[in-house]
Amino acid sequence: METLNLIKKYGKTDALRGLDFKVDPGEIMVILGPNGSGKTTLLMILCTILKPSSGTVKVMGLDVVEEGTRVREVMGIAFQEARGFWRHKPSSILKFHASMFDIEPSKRQDLIEQTMKDLELWESRDKMFMHLSGGQAKRLETAKVLIQRPKLAIFDEPTSQVDLRGKRKIWDKIKELRDQGSTIIVATNEVREAEYLADRVTILHSGQRVVCDTIPRLKDAIAGGDIVEVEFEDPVSNKLVEDLKSLGGGLSLSPQGNQLRAKVSRAEDWVPKMTSASYNLGSKISSIRITEPSLDDVFLHFTGRGLEDQQ
Amino acid sequence: MNRVLTLAKFNIGILLSQRTWFFLSWALFGMQLAVYGSLMSKLVSPVNVPDYFFFYAIGLMVIIVFDSGADVGRHFVEHAHEGELPYFLSLPISRRGFLASQAIYGIANTMIKILPPLVIVLYFVGRLTPQGVFFAAIALFLLGLGITGLMVSFSFIAFKSIDIYSAVIAGLSALLVRFSTVFYPLIFLPNFYSPISLLSPLTYGADLTRWILGFDSTKLLDPTVAAVVVTAIAVGTLSLSVRIVDNIIEGVKAS
Repeated sequence: METLNLIKKYGKTDALRGLDFKVDPGEIMVILGPNGSGKTTLLMILCTILKPSSGTVKVMGLDVVEEGTRVREVMGIAFQEARGFWRHKPSSILKFHASMFDIEPSKRQDLIEQTMKDLELWESRDKMFMHLSGGQAKRLETAKVLIQRPKLAIFDEPTSQVDLRGKRKIWDKIKELRDQGSTIIVATNEVREAEYLADRVTILHSGQRVVCDTIPRLKDAIAGGDIVEVEFEDPVSNKLVEDLKSLGGGLSLSPQGNQLRAKVSRAEDWVPKMTSASYNLGSKISSIRITEPSLDDVFLHFTGRGLEDQQ
Repeated sequence: MNRVLTLAKFNIGILLSQRTWFFLSWALFGMQLAVYGSLMSKLVSPVNVPDYFFFYAIGLMVIIVFDSGADVGRHFVEHAHEGELPYFLSLPISRRGFLASQAIYGIANTMIKILPPLVIVLYFVGRLTPQGVFFAAIALFLLGLGITGLMVSFSFIAFKSIDIYSAVIAGLSALLVRFSTVFYPLIFLPNFYSPISLLSPLTYGADLTRWILGFDSTKLLDPTVAAVVVTAIAVGTLSLSVRIVDNIIEGVKAS
């Protein structure tokens, strides 16, 4: 799947601005970006609902504008907002979906039943769509793609409105789909979802690709790859901050009350020096926590703004 | 083709689950015919229009066909506003196939509403023949397709504003029905009125159906012209709606 210089305008608004984007076969590509970054517009173009203003988009070698019907045969999408039929039951919605994608009638019932059980929808099989909760409707949306098993599966914010337990189940089913050979695109603004699912992440901001790589490489790209969070028994003194700065290896120090957050290049070198300096100044340490930067830190690094700040 | 039929079957399933509306439609037709049809046929001079009750009954059926076609347009717009249209547009079916499935839904809707009243009316006026029912159904079907195409073509307005769409359709419906020959033979229409009635597709559909069912042809339009116009409107508006769905309706709610 590939886009070249993809532009989409809504009137005077540029939703996508010259986007170059590529997904390799058999990978889970997570598109991470805040609301309004162009994620959904990109997905709508990929599934041929919207047409690009200019640029090229190919899915499995098929042009989305010229060969729309064939593109729709190889892809499946779980929309951001669940698309159901108000007076239909989940099983009849899935049956219709399966019949549109030529799933063998003899296998349909078992497949639908199993998928509904996997996604904990089986208990709601006799409810009408309009009576499903938001989370159940989202799971039904995911179930459509799972029974279809398309070559290219697209999930737009697949676990919004879904409880924690349900999120994990959906994520595992998405990974299972990848393991069965599907190429997968997941658009999300949830860092945890991206961390759990992604083989690679593309950060989208204001309709443009900011960066695309694996999560470890994106994190490594941030100068000062480790984050050390230290809690002291007393407020952090200016003298301590000055002494810690003179140690070297600490690229940024952020004291706040009793806490100190340091971005350092190698935590294993810096922490012993820091504890020694604290001991010399009589500052007692309550706890030390060493973490990797989160994807939010990565987003902040590449765009200058935090992902969560922009929701 | 299989997928077009699957989609049409699904939509018709939704249609058949709303049986009450069909009974209401038939009851309304019966009531309108029994009260207004009988009354008006007594007011109209038998010298001028010898069989006005029959004339009126066919006109009433044409109005049902019109309403049914408008219903398909409304159905299409509802799909969009309830968020179902993006889902349908993501299915592995061409845009033409999608519209064909909508048209099949429209035909089913029209035929269910129109066939029982048609057969009953023809039986009571003593003109019931299989050929008559068959060809009248084809004429009404073509008219229904034309109206469906027209309404779907107008549906792009609904993507800008559902209120403007409703107002346009209500105004259009009033004009197309009033300025037509559904209730009055063309030769009796005043000079200032008759040219306008030739702009309404209902004029051609109504007169063609009446001619097929053996109404006095001196009081009707030339049946060849009527058949050509009804067919042309069906083909033209359906083609237009294909273009509109293909090119314009992509501003459906993306999220």
